[in-house]
Amino acid sequence: MYLADMDMPGMAHAKVLRSPFPHARIVSIDASAARALPGVVCVLTRDEVLADSTIDPYYGYVYRDVPIVAIDKVRHEGDIVAVVVAEDEETAEDALELIDVEYDELASVMDIDAAMAKGAIQVHEVFKPIAPELRPVEGTNICHHSTLAKGDIEQGFREADHIFEDSYSAPAVQHCALELHGCIASVGDDEITVWTNCQSPFPLRGELQRMFNKPARVIVPYVGGGFGSKSRDRLEAVVVAAAKLAGRPVRLLLTQEETFQTFIRPALTCTVRTGVKSDGTIVARHHRFAVDVGAYSISGARSANNTLKVATGPYRIPHVLVECDAVYTNKPPSAPYRGLPTTQHTMAYETQLDRIANELGLDPIELRMKNLLVEGDVHVTGDLLRSVHAKDCLEKVSSSLGPQLKGEAVASNGTIRGRGFSCSIKYTITPSEPTLATEAGVELQEDGLFEIRIGTVNMGQGVDTMAAAIGAEAVGVPIESVRILHSDTALVPQDHGTTASRATFHTGNAVLDAGTKLRAELLSTASDLLEEDEVRLELSAAGVAVAGSSGRSVSFVDIARHRGGSLLAKGECWVGGVYTDESGKEYPIASTFWTFGSVGAEVEVSRETGEIRVLRIAAAANVGKAVNPEQTKAQLEGGVTFDLGPSLFERLVWGDGGQLMTTTLMDYPLPTLHTMPEFHVDLLEFPYDQGPYGANGVGEMGGVMVPAAIINAVYDATGVLFHEVPLTPETVLAGLEATGA
Amino acid sequence: MTRFDYVRPSTVAEAVGLLEAHGDDALAIAGGTATVLLLQKRMLRPELVVDLGGLPGLTGVEQNGGGLRIGALTPIRAIERDAIVRGTHHLLAEAASQVAGVRVRNAATVGGSVCFGEPQTDLPPALLAMNATATIAGSQGSRDVPLEEFFLGPYETAREQGEVLTHLSVPTPVPGSGGCHVKFTMGSPENKPVANVSALVTVDASTRALADVRIVMGAVGGVPMLAHKANDTLKGERPSDALIAQAAVRASEEADPVEDLRGSVWYKRRIIKVLVERALRCAIERAN
Ligand SMILES: Cc1cc2nc3c(=O)[nH]c(=O)nc-3n(C[C@H](O)[C@H](O)[C@H](O)COP(=O)(O)OP(=O)(O)OC[C@H]3O[C@@H](n4cnc5c(N)ncnc54)[C@H](O)[C@@H]3O)c2cc1C
Repeated sequence: MYLADMDMPGMAHAKVLRSPFPHARIVSIDASAARALPGVVCVLTRDEVLADSTIDPYYGYVYRDVPIVAIDKVRHEGDIVAVVVAEDEETAEDALELIDVEYDELASVMDIDAAMAKGAIQVHEVFKPIAPELRPVEGTNICHHSTLAKGDIEQGFREADHIFEDSYSAPAVQHCALELHGCIASVGDDEITVWTNCQSPFPLRGELQRMFNKPARVIVPYVGGGFGSKSRDRLEAVVVAAAKLAGRPVRLLLTQEETFQTFIRPALTCTVRTGVKSDGTIVARHHRFAVDVGAYSISGARSANNTLKVATGPYRIPHVLVECDAVYTNKPPSAPYRGLPTTQHTMAYETQLDRIANELGLDPIELRMKNLLVEGDVHVTGDLLRSVHAKDCLEKVSSSLGPQLKGEAVASNGTIRGRGFSCSIKYTITPSEPTLATEAGVELQEDGLFEIRIGTVNMGQGVDTMAAAIGAEAVGVPIESVRILHSDTALVPQDHGTTASRATFHTGNAVLDAGTKLRAELLSTASDLLEEDEVRLELSAAGVAVAGSSGRSVSFVDIARHRGGSLLAKGECWVGGVYTDESGKEYPIASTFWTFGSVGAEVEVSRETGEIRVLRIAAAANVGKAVNPEQTKAQLEGGVTFDLGPSLFERLVWGDGGQLMTTTLMDYPLPTLHTMPEFHVDLLEFPYDQGPYGANGVGEMGGVMVPAAIINAVYDATGVLFHEVPLTPETVLAGLEATGA
Repeated sequence: MTRFDYVRPSTVAEAVGLLEAHGDDALAIAGGTATVLLLQKRMLRPELVVDLGGLPGLTGVEQNGGGLRIGALTPIRAIERDAIVRGTHHLLAEAASQVAGVRVRNAATVGGSVCFGEPQTDLPPALLAMNATATIAGSQGSRDVPLEEFFLGPYETAREQGEVLTHLSVPTPVPGSGGCHVKFTMGSPENKPVANVSALVTVDASTRALADVRIVMGAVGGVPMLAHKANDTLKGERPSDALIAQAAVRASEEADPVEDLRGSVWYKRRIIKVLVERALRCAIERAN
């Protein structure tokens, strides 16, 4: 059952009044006519929110900058001004039209350049940082500026024989999960209950409890895709506030257009300057990027900051400087988007690498082989790298695409073919606070079956299967003997969130820990009951038996009964921690694990229309251990598919007045079967010693290398290196004509 | 959606009566694929929805004198699959097969496609290339409007508010004719066209010259446009690569696209040039 199928006794329906302007001061709101409409339960505006002294009107876990409803001004088209609760959606929509809002329009900043210009109007006059790592630049729209350095960048460029500089851009896009955002909230005297398709129920619970000063319970049904757009809180506080005012359960379901106005992937610009020796050895890299976090920095500033760690790629570079600006604009707020800006960084450094190879007369694959990180290298962050195998991934994709036909042999009816490769490195979220451990429970229940309790959200990616496999293996029973309970904060232990490729590693480890402990308990209980030494006992589907032919055994039902009806073991996975270097100095690790991979793409470009067909994609990643090989492969294929759209045609477009023009999927094309290439996916299984059974995170890896590989393939085919996505037919044709290619 | 009353009349006269009586407050609906989206967004706010789906005799394809009579309520998918259409009116079946995805084609009707007057469509250019005539019923009886006069501007047609399109008459092309519909989209081929071209040509069996040429361009103007200059360039001539290229350039000059999310003016003209060449080559080959 998905959220939109759920109904609660007494449930009312909410609709949202949204700002028509990208930036305006609210002079007045008159909702009296709406309130008077028969069927309307209540209308939530800034007045009701500010009048309730038990509510903190602002939320946000990086910046506390998002109001439940607009208070002083609206900061993007679609910003929430009021919420109508009515007996049905149509009445709520009718009532929206009766609300009279007077706006005082302000100048707006719709992109990074405008927002960073001297004297630009400020989207937020006051910064409200929460996260300790934030470095806002007062008096500007820059909500976070940070750097990461290693070596001496000036020295690095002095050592270089050649220096290359390229600038890139990628526009805002949306995740387009099949299931749109929705939430049901019910506020009782003692507790808030929220049913929502959120990827991070526990952090959401914490934030709701803080804002509404009341215990909260968050229940997440099956989620129809998230890709980051449903991580953390956005909608829930609005619905909780409405339900509190209404005094009954309230449901809000967003439309596609509203989803485009709620959470998007931020636009990004970057400039990459690279110093290389004549033999292709990279000696210096200066990577500057700016992320358009939109009107509220819900996660944007932190996401940008996190990708400092991977902005220079999976390469050994002695001298590095990475600089990042996260910039407020009057676009909708940005959300994490599968892979975060790792995708755009990879697009930049990997396509520049092909230019370097071309101009120095080197083979692109050999150039990469010369510079890729290997086992035991120290990353730019200082982390010691293990289970790398980046070179194996590249070799794999290169060989699975097979020998390349060159020139006329592959050109037909005005099309020309080319091939491109890319490599990348991805981190996972690694909070330093120990309270953010992922926990799991495995319980033997009175019916002799095992219940696995996880906080991870099932979004179709197969976490239940993963947890069942690991739990069953750890206990030593068949997978049929386990059942899964997931993502209800009242029933399962905490997890930080189903994001950043983290579930198999973190939840898997916690389940493994719990399962191992439970197995020990089972054996010791059975040992008591059977009066046999533990080493002589064996587990099966039915229970614990004495090895050999004696036939003596005790069932799981009896073990449970003996232990008071059930037997629970708790497990956890701690993240973060410190490394100690040779001198004995300690520093926090930047990522619990690092994932390496490669993608190869073969494309066909039409010289007549500029249209690109992606014919074949090879993808390989070092997954450590594929807990479920088919699902792991599907993660890579799905990741690739996900990023074909933004590589080829997806982009959100705003008109001159700051209004979104791409409001439906008719104006915002998505990949379809027609877009699908032939896939060659390889899973490399070099175990990672810290992962459950050696497993590593892989969920985001497939997509992050796709734009780079496609741009490089087009470069190979046409000789034109594009510095932007999407490569729409028009962009490509214009590029070919401009260079006479 | 706003609230509205709903009726499903059982005769054309009844439907016409209701539409006339309620004027701008009434909305006729056939397959609903265009209208329901607009209702959901409250861009259409009728007081009365008149569902044409129950009208008898307006569904299906019949042979009628020198051509086909296509009922307005015939689903686009049925046009695509109809054996007669695929035989004598292949161009129409080809254009129908390129409309949206199969689920939309199953619901969407030929009449809805024509009456909606949307510039980005596939069937109207093909119907225009085949010289179709629309028959419209009103309170004063029926009238015939050639499609050349039917499309007036974006979402604007010769159909009056109180009228119902009952059928289209599409002449059978003379022997030696061939047609071709080509569509260019961004993303999936199921998307609405950046531009499209429907071409119907007749090749003289003895001289191999082009006895007749009807090239229609879609999505590059407010209405589907006959490419008059390109047609004149080709008529009476034997086709050659140079001549086809020349006609394609003329057509792209005649096209009157606007810049939108699907492309700039420059790009749409370029696409028209490519599509006219492709459609002509294909149509001429089929004619032979
Ligand atoms: C996702 C999607 C993709 C699409 N892609 C394409 C595409 O690639 N190519 C393309 O050509 N089209 C495309 N379309 C448009 C589609 O062809 C039209 O929506 C469809 O043809 C309209 O037919 P209908 O019967 O559903 O019309 P309705 O929505 O029922 O009506 C449309 C209009 O016509 C009027 N009307 C309908 N029938 C009559 C009648 N008999 N007499 C008088 N007035 C009438 C209605 O009053 C209304 O104004 C797409 C549509 C969708 C939803």
